[in-house]
Amino acid sequence: MAKQRGGGAGRQQPPAPAASGTSPELVKKYAWPEKPAIIGTSVKRLDGPDKVTGRAKYTFDINRPGMIYGRVIRSPHPHARIVAIDLSDAQKAPGVRAALEHKPAGGQVMYQGDAVAAVAADTEDRAIDAARLVKVQYQVLPHLANVEQAMDPDAAAVFAGGNVRQGQTQESGDLAAGFAQAAETVEATYSTHVITHVCMESHSVVCEWEGEKLTAWISTQAVHGSAQQFANGLKIPQTNVRVITQYMGGGFGSKSQIGAEGMLCARLAQAAKAPVKLTLDRKEEHLDTGNRPSATAHIRAGVGADGMLTAFDAESWGTGGAGAGSNFPLPYIYQFPNRKRIHKDVYINAGQQRPMRAPGHPQGCFLTEILMDELADRVRMDPVEFRIKNVPADAPNAKWKTYLPEAAQLFGWSKRHPTGDASRGPIKTGFGCSVHQWGGGGRGSQARCEIMADGSVVMKCGTQDIGTGTRTIVAMVTAETLGLPLNAVKAEIGDTLYPFSGGSGGSTTAASVTPAIRLAAAQALETLFTKVAPTLGADASALVATNGRIQMRDNPSRGVAWKDACKLLSTEPIAADAQWQQGLSGSGTSGVQFTEVKVDVETGIVRVERILAMQDCGLVVDTLTAESQVYGGIIGSLNFALFEDRILDRVTGQMVNPNMEWYLLAGMSDVPKIEVHLKNQPERGVIGIGEPPTVSTASAIANAVRNATGATIRSLPLTPQKVLDAIEQQKAGGTL
Amino acid sequence: MASKDDKQKTAEQSGISRRTFFKSTGVGSLAAGVVGIGEADAQVPVRTVGPGEVSVTLNVNGKRVDLKIEPRVTLLDAIRQRANMTGNKRGCDRGACGACTMIVDGRTVYACSTLAIEVQGKQIRTVEGLSTGNTLHPVQQAFCDVDALMCGFCTPGFIMATVALLEKNPRPTEEQVNKGLDGNICRCGTFVRIKEAAMTAKVVARG
Repeated sequence: MAKQRGGGAGRQQPPAPAASGTSPELVKKYAWPEKPAIIGTSVKRLDGPDKVTGRAKYTFDINRPGMIYGRVIRSPHPHARIVAIDLSDAQKAPGVRAALEHKPAGGQVMYQGDAVAAVAADTEDRAIDAARLVKVQYQVLPHLANVEQAMDPDAAAVFAGGNVRQGQTQESGDLAAGFAQAAETVEATYSTHVITHVCMESHSVVCEWEGEKLTAWISTQAVHGSAQQFANGLKIPQTNVRVITQYMGGGFGSKSQIGAEGMLCARLAQAAKAPVKLTLDRKEEHLDTGNRPSATAHIRAGVGADGMLTAFDAESWGTGGAGAGSNFPLPYIYQFPNRKRIHKDVYINAGQQRPMRAPGHPQGCFLTEILMDELADRVRMDPVEFRIKNVPADAPNAKWKTYLPEAAQLFGWSKRHPTGDASRGPIKTGFGCSVHQWGGGGRGSQARCEIMADGSVVMKCGTQDIGTGTRTIVAMVTAETLGLPLNAVKAEIGDTLYPFSGGSGGSTTAASVTPAIRLAAAQALETLFTKVAPTLGADASALVATNGRIQMRDNPSRGVAWKDACKLLSTEPIAADAQWQQGLSGSGTSGVQFTEVKVDVETGIVRVERILAMQDCGLVVDTLTAESQVYGGIIGSLNFALFEDRILDRVTGQMVNPNMEWYLLAGMSDVPKIEVHLKNQPERGVIGIGEPPTVSTASAIANAVRNATGATIRSLPLTPQKVLDAIEQQKAGGTL
Repeated sequence: MASKDDKQKTAEQSGISRRTFFKSTGVGSLAAGVVGIGEADAQVPVRTVGPGEVSVTLNVNGKRVDLKIEPRVTLLDAIRQRANMTGNKRGCDRGACGACTMIVDGRTVYACSTLAIEVQGKQIRTVEGLSTGNTLHPVQQAFCDVDALMCGFCTPGFIMATVALLEKNPRPTEEQVNKGLDGNICRCGTFVRIKEAAMTAKVVARG
């Protein structure tokens, strides 16, 4: 499937397999258990008590002895040349310990918030004071504040190689023949807007040098990836860098790069000879730490009288900011036998995009799914029935034909009225649905299992818990494999002292980490078996670990308690390394969502009443935290549909809502009833679930609004003004 | 609760009142409008302090905390950066996200938008003050039980808001929970389970 490229997300290549690589036999022997004791149950996240008491130390909370505070000086202009930077007044300000340039005079800033210089002072307030004293002389240059300006043939050539980069045409089938077969066609323009990640913990970093060695606490989705970036940027060996992220306050794709702030923090700490903490404020966070690109497509699509899609012709474009791409899958999921699509990346003077929760999919899904309801109406077919006809055949990673009728029934879809709520009064009710998919899958994570002579167990893995519950599933899989209770094992993650693991992006963490954990525990256990076997007069291959005992598979009474078995290790504890292997993880997920909304046609306000999600993700490891991710994805998409919007002033190119009071996000009162149906597929192995549930909620909401009002809104967000305009337009001649 | 005497004494110690604060920041007309309401304020002998560091004494979770800080330092920064109690977080720094929520004299405040020097003599409660030893406060326990948290960064603020709500109203309706917690934002999207936690936590009313 066309997944967006350049996802980043710390996708560095893992090192080559270790020489002691686990055997295929081990993978087979340690396939996921048919009757697990722990896996698949609802386990409370192990770090919950640390988080609810405030004991959990996020990067934002790290206080080091002698630590001082950094502050970045940023461009107020969307496009300018730096003529001169004068740090002298800042250097003389109270408490200032270091000041340095980021971009030299002569360089260009390409967006508001582009980093120019940095200072460090003994308190955060004094660092902010000193930052104001840095004098930067700019030569303001022409800028492009939005896509329309950038696509104007008369626009200034702001970007080398052009403001618009045309992609290759994707084409299959015979478009003319496809439209000739069509009984009905729809032609319209659809679009989604730019949103920012708004992690509750802003991008934060603390750097401390000890001679040539750097320790960095950084709020990141990739501890090992960050170490590599620090090493590359500072031109020091990666072995001299230690990165620690025990807790991090949300990333959603924006925290796989150390960013300008990471490098500046390391350099400030070097210059000041003191640990430096640098935390971005909310405005910097909106401007310079990524966003979800916009997407627009002018689409012409045809459908036969039998409800089968015949042709799809689209020209699409979008902006990922200053020189960054904006591609997305289109058409999404549905099968058009004849299709053509061309995409253009449009560059504007705004912060660059970064992957954001299911990059590309929410955009492609919205653009396609609104069109689907329009086409269904043209052939007078129920939207669910229409979708069942046109989605690909059922497969383990594509279960829409199964889920659509099942979810429709659970939702009470039969109560849906045709497009346009004909009831009296200003409050109209509507139902909508949408389908989605995601890839995910595992890759080369490593892990080390250590068993001590006192029976204690630690699993070490250089992954990180970005809020998804990774720490908890590491412990669960370890305990399951060793036949121990959960509290008998310790999970150590979030530190480059532990074996390599990739970045948490693309819903790959669970699928990458759990096989490595399982196999490392298995390797360790096999070693323990060889120590225990002689004392039981048995062959090691005849032993199993269960209920805190090592015993014979065929004769459970012949065995030994875990602790007694481990005593045999004496002065030689076990340390077993393993890495991800094919066979314990899968990839590819599918899901469907249904929504009910109420729309006040006098005010244009949309309220979502309830949402039903049916979602698979392979083998469910922790049911409780997996469900939490589905809830979270849905609420994220509800924000995308109704509230959040990065608004740039069309004249000045400045962001007008770089905060959290005008950058709107749902609060408790905005959250509807949500019903989650998680489909367990143990035979497929572990697959991630962070991203798929956030793809289709916005589309389902928009289709429900259309069903309620009879008016089609082809762009997000569904603001009250847009709803009212669409209703007016529909009254005046119809959009149907 | 601090007695009135205590309050006055602290005000004299610090030598600051809302009036001096507004004067010193030069918002003359605003100060006049605000201070006109309370005559008591006008009678407290005042002197200007700052912008350098001054002594500020806070009562945090029942313990006295003595600090030397500039008058401009917020309650949140004073507690996090000077007293090293980092439980409560900063999300937006302008009273919109609620991650910094603390309870001051029984009411929730946005600690990022409250000056430390203003809350001397008041009872300040942070997330660190809720549990006793290894026993979690019922609200903390409820959050853990139903997984009302993911990344956990907004969690301390949500917990303080929930505690304040339930101490006033131990059996709130869903509507009351919505209203009580609408001042807090969670980006991971844990609202469904936060509501469940708020409606199931067994909290005793507090005067």
